[in-house]
Amino acid sequence: MRRSRSRRRGALTGVVSVLPAVLLVGAFMWYPLVTTVYHSFTRWDGMVTRWVGLANYRRLFADGDIWQYLRTNLVFFLSIPLILVMCLVVAVLLHEQTPGARFFRSVYYLPCMLSVVVVGVLMRSMFLPDGVVNRGLSAAGLHALSTDWLSSTVTAFVVLILTFYWQTLGQGALVFLAGLSAMPPEVIEASQMDGAGWWRRLFRVVLPMQTPAISYFLVINTSYVFIGLFSLIYTITKGGPGTSTTPLDYEIYLSAFQTGDLGYASALSVVLLLLVSVIAWLQVRNFDLFSRNGGR
Amino acid sequence: MKSTVSLAGRIVITGILTIVAVSALYPLFFMLVTSLRSQSEYIRDPLSLPAHWTDIDNYVAMVNRFDLPRLFANSVVYVAVAWLICLAVSLPAAFAFAKLEFPGRRAVFIAMIATLAIPGITFIIPDYVLLADVGLIDSPISVILVWAATGVPGTVFLLAAFMRALPGDVIDAAAVDGAGYFQAMRRVILPMSVPAIVTVTIFNVTGWWNDLLTPLVFLQSDQQATVTLGAATVVTRYGSDLPLLVTGLVLAALPPVLVYIVAQRYIRRGLVLGAVR
Repeated sequence: MRRSRSRRRGALTGVVSVLPAVLLVGAFMWYPLVTTVYHSFTRWDGMVTRWVGLANYRRLFADGDIWQYLRTNLVFFLSIPLILVMCLVVAVLLHEQTPGARFFRSVYYLPCMLSVVVVGVLMRSMFLPDGVVNRGLSAAGLHALSTDWLSSTVTAFVVLILTFYWQTLGQGALVFLAGLSAMPPEVIEASQMDGAGWWRRLFRVVLPMQTPAISYFLVINTSYVFIGLFSLIYTITKGGPGTSTTPLDYEIYLSAFQTGDLGYASALSVVLLLLVSVIAWLQVRNFDLFSRNGGR
Repeated sequence: MKSTVSLAGRIVITGILTIVAVSALYPLFFMLVTSLRSQSEYIRDPLSLPAHWTDIDNYVAMVNRFDLPRLFANSVVYVAVAWLICLAVSLPAAFAFAKLEFPGRRAVFIAMIATLAIPGITFIIPDYVLLADVGLIDSPISVILVWAATGVPGTVFLLAAFMRALPGDVIDAAAVDGAGYFQAMRRVILPMSVPAIVTVTIFNVTGWWNDLLTPLVFLQSDQQATVTLGAATVVTRYGSDLPLLVTGLVLAALPPVLVYIVAQRYIRRGLVLGAVR
């Protein structure tokens, strides 16, 4: 009797406890989501809404707009494996505990703390035609390599991806270092007893145990290259030259707040949303607290 | 693990790590050095070191010409209020998800986590229209509300993960004591959750401090701008004076770097939450 009453009271307390959070998230995230889907079928300037059916989507897919923007996201996506390997290498080296390893670890993460805005504006100024990079190349006798970096698509991507790498290395190295430190020592000792050398141990024993860390790294960075590029693009290339480095999220901003075509921007948002729902699904699967016994 | 790497191997490792460290630090070094040079000094040779290491003209100009103290005050106030709202809403929710049984618990929690992956740019358009309808464009309130709301899912997720590991009997004891809900929250749950609160605070606060999109969309006048917005727009409008521009970057970068130096431990812990299982 007492038990069931206290349980019912618990249920009420639970509902009341989550209500403010649900209302806030509902008003600013869930409800907008629903209206975005609706507005993707309309021509909308913020005040007047006119139903246009699939016109926005036709423009996206039949006219091929979407592929141009997705190309930018895809270039970033394809750059992930290289930085993944670099982070792994750095983490493995840090894990050897050579002198200064703790200092290096601190230094590597420093760029990750900075705003993408700060990093973007800084990198842009370094890669200006008479900036420090070109001057440095000339001083090193590599004048042939100096170029107007941001005026052609390929070199603009080089600058963007270098910046992305610079800000990701420390984060990745820390993630993998945590993974390496979490390995039970018995496993390593057992493989040492087997007489396995350093390299063999690395590839046969250590790296296979990093699968959770690697998948975590891939999830956060994949979602970054599809939904997080805005500040980077805004500060470094503004999507140019032309629209050749414009990713999906930057184009949503442009068509909504520069062109004022909110219906088209909504359709773009829906496409982006469907794209990242795959990532969301991975995240739910990875982080579902209820299928595990918590306490990490 | 006990190392089996030879001395030569260790030297090679340290060498590689040093090269990586130099490339991680050089842009920051360039930023700092450039902020201490005049424009003519910079144009003569971008690679040079400052003639006088004590030349703080650029910093003085930042404060005088761009009303930097005001931008800083804006950022601090917006971030602090958003933090208060976000935490006040997330704490009880996280507790309920972690420790209480109620109908719809699992479904709402899954919805919260799924929200984490939804791109911020998707909300910005309807939120803009919504807040424009109630006349809150170019008002700090819009930025604060959007920050607080979008911070909730991540905060709830992290706090709930932490609270699940708290011993249940302590909380039951608080209930048996007849302590009211708010008292239990304040006396027991809040103090026990401090480590998780610190971690989530660091991530939210630096995230908001560094955010460009939200203030860019919702704020229009320079008086309302945040430091990050100022660094991206106000200052770049005078872009020909590169050392001055870079000085703005140094000042915008300073608070997150200080936070990092003070709270490294918490940052590492938060970062790797998902990596080790």
